Amino acid sequence: MPPIAAIENLFIEELTAATRDVFKTMVFQEVEASSPITGDALRPGANVVGTVAFAGKTSGLVVFYSTMEAAQMITASMLGIEPASVNGELHDAIGELTNMIAGSFRTRMAHAKGETWAISVPTVTVGSDFYTKYVSDVQRVLCPFRMNTAELFVELIVTRSAGQ
Amino acid sequence: MRFLIVDDSSTMRRIIINTLNKLGHQDVAEAGNGREGLDRLSSGGPVDVIITDWNMPEMSGIDFIRTVRSMPDIKDTPVLMVTTNAAKDDIVEALKAGVNSYVVKPFTPDTMKEKIEAVLAR
Repeated sequence: MPPIAAIENLFIEELTAATRDVFKTMVFQEVEASSPITGDALRPGANVVGTVAFAGKTSGLVVFYSTMEAAQMITASMLGIEPASVNGELHDAIGELTNMIAGSFRTRMAHAKGETWAISVPTVTVGSDFYTKYVSDVQRVLCPFRMNTAELFVELIVTRSAGQ
Repeated sequence: MRFLIVDDSSTMRRIIINTLNKLGHQDVAEAGNGREGLDRLSSGGPVDVIITDWNMPEMSGIDFIRTVRSMPDIKDTPVLMVTTNAAKDDIVEALKAGVNSYVVKPFTPDTMKEKIEAVLAR
């Protein structure tokens, strides 16, 4: 099988726009995007990871990373409560956030490239001292964002490119 | 005015409840999937508007709506679907199943308000 093609800028632009839109409309927070990082140069130090897979002509994963503190702020803002009041809601909130980012990205790519993708239900991992390693050939780009003082990351991992 | 929100995400149910509260609607029942939604409708009395997700465990929003539309006592209840499924084919399928209006996530509070008011004005 030929190697996975490099991720087009269009994918990165649409993923960034989708993330901004979800934060503005559903988290009620603005996020500032920084330059994307390709390859394995940077692995974000995160305690909370949300993942949604997509499959179609292009297949892969949309992964959201944040610290526990940032995830609590996001959850509180989505629910309209104080961060200190966040108790068992964090997993569902981050799952829904990742689901909306992936869903909005899918809609944008359908308009931009005419690709139709199915997306999975979200999974959320909370913990420390863990990392994810992909055994197959993948292309990845990490998009950093800043929400107030918190650093957030959204990663696009492509496991199959259109035409392969 | 009584609402029933059917969504497996407690976060999304809370966001919709907060929006309804801001619009002056306080009487809101919740269910975590279509099956629970049917149980609520059977045991909790009639509702004026149903707001449902599409992708849910046990019974999807589409199957839930089809069942509601087949039940004589509640078949005319207005239904608003809130989902990330935004493809044209998805919207057509939802409308065929009996959805009255459709909101694609992410949405602004203004969009939700507009759609709820449109469903209520029917």
